Amino acid sequence: MAANSRTLEITVISAENLKLDRKPIKKNSSVTVRPDTNSQFCTTEMDTEGGAYPRWNEKLVLDLPAHSRSITVDVQCKTSYGVRTVGTATIPASDFVGGYVPEGYLHFLSYRLRDNRGERNGIINISVRMKVPEIYACSSSTTSSHSRMGFPVAENNNFGGGVAAGVPVWYGSYQKKHY
Amino acid sequence: MGGCFSDVRGGKDAVGGDLPRPTEPNAKNDGAHNDAIELFYRAHGAYPLFTQLELSFSASKLLNLDVTSKSDPMVIVYLKKNDGKLEELGRTEVILNNLNPVWIQKVSVAYQFEMVQNLIFRVYDVDTQYHNVPVKTLNLKDQEFLGEGSCVLSEIVTKQNRSLTLTLKGKNGHGGLRNFGTLTVHAEETIASRSAVEIKFRCAHLDNKDLFSKSDPFLRISRTVETGGSIPICKTEVVDNNLNPTWKPLCLSMQQFGSKDNPLVIECFDFNSDGNHILIGKLQKSVADLEKLFKEKSGVNFFIPSSRAGHEKVLKGQLFVDQFCEKEQFSFVDYISSGFELNFMVAVDFTGSNGDPRKPESLHYIDPYGRLNSYQQAITEVGQVIQFYDADKSFPALGFGGRTANGTVSHCFNLNGNASESEVVGVEGIMAAYANALRNVALSGPTLFGQVVNRAAEIAARSLSSNNNKYYVLLIITDGILTDLQETKDALVRASNLPLSILIVGVGNADFKQMEILDADNGQRLESSTGRIATRDIVQFVPMRDVQSGQISVVQGLLEELPGQFLSYMRSMDIKPLTFNAAAQASRALEIL
Repeated sequence: MAANSRTLEITVISAENLKLDRKPIKKNSSVTVRPDTNSQFCTTEMDTEGGAYPRWNEKLVLDLPAHSRSITVDVQCKTSYGVRTVGTATIPASDFVGGYVPEGYLHFLSYRLRDNRGERNGIINISVRMKVPEIYACSSSTTSSHSRMGFPVAENNNFGGGVAAGVPVWYGSYQKKHY
Repeated sequence: MGGCFSDVRGGKDAVGGDLPRPTEPNAKNDGAHNDAIELFYRAHGAYPLFTQLELSFSASKLLNLDVTSKSDPMVIVYLKKNDGKLEELGRTEVILNNLNPVWIQKVSVAYQFEMVQNLIFRVYDVDTQYHNVPVKTLNLKDQEFLGEGSCVLSEIVTKQNRSLTLTLKGKNGHGGLRNFGTLTVHAEETIASRSAVEIKFRCAHLDNKDLFSKSDPFLRISRTVETGGSIPICKTEVVDNNLNPTWKPLCLSMQQFGSKDNPLVIECFDFNSDGNHILIGKLQKSVADLEKLFKEKSGVNFFIPSSRAGHEKVLKGQLFVDQFCEKEQFSFVDYISSGFELNFMVAVDFTGSNGDPRKPESLHYIDPYGRLNSYQQAITEVGQVIQFYDADKSFPALGFGGRTANGTVSHCFNLNGNASESEVVGVEGIMAAYANALRNVALSGPTLFGQVVNRAAEIAARSLSSNNNKYYVLLIITDGILTDLQETKDALVRASNLPLSILIVGVGNADFKQMEILDADNGQRLESSTGRIATRDIVQFVPMRDVQSGQISVVQGLLEELPGQFLSYMRSMDIKPLTFNAAAQASRALEIL
């Protein structure tokens, strides 16, 4: 992993209402994900059964370079005329990085796909998790199910200067399973 | 005119046993048992005045409106409200090419003992493609009407076998000369349960029923009911041309199969695109028997019932269970009683459309004789619900659309006038802060929800750094005329993957059509201006005038979708209730209440 790049775990879940030439596609769709800097890309397996509503449930791991502002998701379909792009969505990094949400949060996101003419063509459903750098994880081993998301509270939970209700509990005690 | 299209691929789909999208509440668990409402009433010493029912449908002699094949019927159930408007309660699936269909998909309805519930059933012939399309999104304008029936819910429930057969009529209620056929509605009480099983079936050596190729088998599973007969609960997808098929795993909840010892009838059919599926064989096993088959890795033979009693022909075709996995699906109350907290926030509409507060017609008029205005009524009524569920009774109280003391219009200000702290204690605190704000804030505009939604999202997101057992609910009390619908949609989409729900309470008599767009119950997911789509439906809308006219209680209105939204979040994030021991202790404590 290059310095200053982050690792993204993207699970491509499913897509809805995919059409080619105004007709629902029959089968053989797959998804390619890459950061906007065009460095590396990952592709899912083809879905052969779902037709215009394919399901992949496949996890892809990508390195997101530090200066990257978005990732692009392409849905392609293998037809007898070759591979055609059904639709594309651009996901701004701000949708899964920053904000008030802790790092390592599992974001379930969905986006409108647009075809090469800019017309709406379906929806793509994914989940994105930024992998927390090893230094900050509590357990260094394979399953990161007990790794701590975010940092222990130095700032108080302050939206009123009130006392935090309840005692903060480790994530670990919630038996969080990993995909 | 459509009329000769039959979606054969749609007819081959699995029904009733599928796994939903991660962020969708499990439809089977969702409407079936609203334990949030029951908990509220029980804790107050009352029992909820309703039972949750499931309606199953079958029909006979439907009209044939397809030219080269038969109609592909689907049933839609509506509730006729006092003002004559129809509210859709649910739809069945579409059945291919069948004029005497038995539908699998059930429609949930709460049977209210004290109200007259007029139900309308409409049967449509689906002419558009429905393969993999959620039934909710099928546009009725593209389909053909097959007939309508109506009755009062209590008529079904009070029959001994809980079934009522209705003669279908045309759109205007006239039978005319045409015979539209009949529709039979059967009602069953639903059992709340948290168990589900995931089963993968396989068959071997099935008989060949097709002439030029092999059978295209699928399984249909039915459960027997108390009143005799059986009701189908699910069917697998069709596997083409295969006498040794393996189907995708089926997920069945205990609500569907009753109990592990309840005998289930499993039938294997050969699919035919003309709708006449041929029975290959059947057998009867309970879920406990299926578990045994899995453990022993053994198969069980199908048989063909024969007209001679006791002489069933045993076939060489066998059923195997390749996977059997029990899953637990915790309910809303399981989470709450284990220590999960609901945190409520209130936002009040201070826009000019409410009317000048000094005039009695204004929704914000403070009556010197103490009569509560629409906002005060709404705050008091919803307050009883939120006080019950919010452990610390400390609520951020916000306002939007008003001109504050410093002269600028704010779309998110603290009602209590405090610059940094928005929290007030108890419903009395909200009422006091509201009265205080009316004195110090001038009504203005425009009506925008975006900022209060963003503030709620910020609070919910921040809480994730320290724990994940809190769920936030923002109550927006408004007179309903949004100035910028897209701005609100953008904020809602951004908040849709956080532990947050938004309940919009509409006061006054406005036409709340916009709110209905936001409460995406028709299956249309909200889309932001940047192309992002809402992960889940986090909005629910309750018009206070429905509450005041007695159509629903405020408890039901507010709590109807909340447990489902809460559960969809918890399940998609794979968050379980706190350790089961703690949960058991807490729920015992709660029962003493």
